[in-house]
Amino acid sequence: MSTFDAAVPAAQPSLAARFRLPTGPIQFLGFDKDYWQLWIRGSALLALTLGIYRFWLTTDTRRFLWSNTEMLGEPLEYTGTARELLIGFLIAVAILIPFYALIFLLALTQGLIGQLAGVIGFALATVLGHYAVFRARRYRLTRTVYRGVRFHQTGSAWYYAIMAVLWWTVVILTLGLAYPIALSRLERFKMRNTWLGNLQGRFEGSAAGLFIRGLFMWLVVVGPLIASLVAFVLALDTALLRELISTNDDDALSRLIEAHPSVAFASAFGIGALIWAALAGMLLYPVFQAMVLRWWASGLRFGDMAASSTLRTGEVYGTYLRYIGWSMVFSTIASFVLILLGAAGAASLWATGVLDKEWFSSVGEIATAILGVIIYVAFALGYAAIYQVKVRLGLWRAVANSAGLSNPATLGTISSVGAPASPVGEGLADALNVGGF
Amino acid sequence: MTTSGQATYFDGVTSARHDVTVTLGASALQIHASDGHMLAEWPYAELEPIASPQGLLRVGRIDNPVLARLDVRDSTLAAAIDDLSVPIDRSGRTERRGRRKVVFWSLAATVSLLLVAIFGVPEIAGRLTPLVPYAAEVRLGAAVDAQVRSMLDKSGAGPRFVCGSGEVEQAGRAAFDKMFAKLEQAAGQPIPLRVLVVRSEDANAVTLPGGTIYVFHGLIDKAENADEVAGVIAHELGHVAHRDGTRTVLQHGAMSLLFGLLLGDFVGGGAVIIAAKTILQTSYSRDVETSADAYAVDLMKALGADPRALGTILTRVAGSSHSPLKLLLDHPETKERVDAINARSGAGSAEPILTPSEWTDVRRICSESKG
Repeated sequence: MSTFDAAVPAAQPSLAARFRLPTGPIQFLGFDKDYWQLWIRGSALLALTLGIYRFWLTTDTRRFLWSNTEMLGEPLEYTGTARELLIGFLIAVAILIPFYALIFLLALTQGLIGQLAGVIGFALATVLGHYAVFRARRYRLTRTVYRGVRFHQTGSAWYYAIMAVLWWTVVILTLGLAYPIALSRLERFKMRNTWLGNLQGRFEGSAAGLFIRGLFMWLVVVGPLIASLVAFVLALDTALLRELISTNDDDALSRLIEAHPSVAFASAFGIGALIWAALAGMLLYPVFQAMVLRWWASGLRFGDMAASSTLRTGEVYGTYLRYIGWSMVFSTIASFVLILLGAAGAASLWATGVLDKEWFSSVGEIATAILGVIIYVAFALGYAAIYQVKVRLGLWRAVANSAGLSNPATLGTISSVGAPASPVGEGLADALNVGGF
Repeated sequence: MTTSGQATYFDGVTSARHDVTVTLGASALQIHASDGHMLAEWPYAELEPIASPQGLLRVGRIDNPVLARLDVRDSTLAAAIDDLSVPIDRSGRTERRGRRKVVFWSLAATVSLLLVAIFGVPEIAGRLTPLVPYAAEVRLGAAVDAQVRSMLDKSGAGPRFVCGSGEVEQAGRAAFDKMFAKLEQAAGQPIPLRVLVVRSEDANAVTLPGGTIYVFHGLIDKAENADEVAGVIAHELGHVAHRDGTRTVLQHGAMSLLFGLLLGDFVGGGAVIIAAKTILQTSYSRDVETSADAYAVDLMKALGADPRALGTILTRVAGSSHSPLKLLLDHPETKERVDAINARSGAGSAEPILTPSEWTDVRRICSESKG
């Protein structure tokens, strides 16, 4: 009686044909128009409610993305609610207030502990942030349902947090060279603890593969920086170093550079390398992101199912170019509207003679500040909405539509396991400002 | 009216697809497998609409721990279920009503939060400040001092940042201390006060919690006589007497808690918090400054010095300041302050607080600045 049909169900082909969709096993069916509507309305409400609406906006966004993503003709389902996120956030606030109070007290203590309070606070917040990321992932997975079966996540969030902090420290110390191994280790831990019902996930992306593919890009961006560092070290002999340490005012450095042209050369080289790293990093970022996304999607496994990805670098460039184009159009139109409104406002103030009034100086100052905030928020939310539609939705769609899946028949043989998890992690992640979907 | 149709059913136990026939009964819909066997019966009142792409009606059962799902792609059957079931509402009216409630109460919360921030927080901080023990204030001052010192001492002069230790400077320090001793005695504060002249070009002075006053040598450069400097110090003593530093810290803390923690952050949220604080603080500080001015006038009168000198130096400093936002708005404010100072000073003769030769010494208190 339970029939499984690996091909798309009867009504599906026409739907797919109507929207000229790719015919892969995973398809994204949502329209930009609906997502625009969601985010324009959501942004306005975010501003009006000083951000309280974000729980509803986040839930709506996830519901839209999940429910429009179909695997083998069956859409995913997001069962989380805004109310849960709100409660999770309130719990997180209850946990974090004593934490902040403690750091504040530490900062008031005299001596070493007082001076280190900022560092201690930052370290604790970093560990807590990674802890929150893992717990939030658990919440999202247990709210994700496919064919009546829930995803869930096992594993200790503290273990993950400590592992993540250690790996990221290594990444920073190796100037990014350890990024592939760190990413693959963390992803392996996450996927090993990810379950769809009774089907365990794993991650098989190879760190060496990502390393080899990314090495050239790393050399292009970071290489000159390292070369300039080496040049600087070579230019410094011990006598010079002693001179540098013994003098500590501003003029000393410029005198030093005058006396030793090799130092001047190394400094100029260093500045050039920094500018180069920023420019090249920006231009190559979509290539890097496409590479990592492709590597990540191709490494995902569930039981005997293996995902693959044919995501093209050009698609990722396209999303960013569209984002930049839309942002420029938005900036132009918004600035034009702003100038018109400003001129109209100034004219009406002048015409009514308010400008000459005594009280205007103090009221005017506050009004200017409030207007400034409103304009800033309007612009920030405008860019955020464009980013959501063009980059986030664009990438989601590109990754989904470019995905392949081997042994899809396994999807029909999974049994339900797992219960919904608490939203505290989401709340912590929200309060600590560590994102994710 | 349609009474039955084809659909897909997932029983929530396994991920297997079931092609089913849905029959619409009087109060419930029945789900039959292709062999006629009944898989489930769901009352219309317990149906739960679930987000799905266009062209698909996905139904679950409210509060069901088992995630059984019925996917209906047949549009006439979907419309019939929508008609029969109250919770299923594809027009989105119920959803919108719920949303409106959220928006309304969020707005109400925003308004009450702003009211508390504008009227409540200063009031609470004002009431709490006298209750803070002086020992705590001194300790707070020590913690803030290191921070402020490193922010002011931009060139990294270290201990040499404070004037008055050099050979040429010592006479100036002695004269300055004499003037400050007079002011401190007249002020009669319960905590020991400390005043430091520092190598900073700004014409300004800063008071920290716990009775530490920084006078920038830029102020002494701008002053034309000792009474002007004394007037500014008397104004700072007003801040000490009113414990304004402690109150500001309490206000800042309460505000960060209100805006930062309860609201979290969204795009631009950080800027809103900062701007809100600035707006509120400029309006606090206006009152605070006025009362410190009044204190300074009374103190200078008690010493027999010139209470109008504070107004004179205020006008001179404001005339040359270049704060971009306040450029236009500062002048009337300064004028109001000076008018208030002069009104409170009244008529009467004054005795200079230092002799001309002592004042010449004070002007040299930072003379070794670039040595």
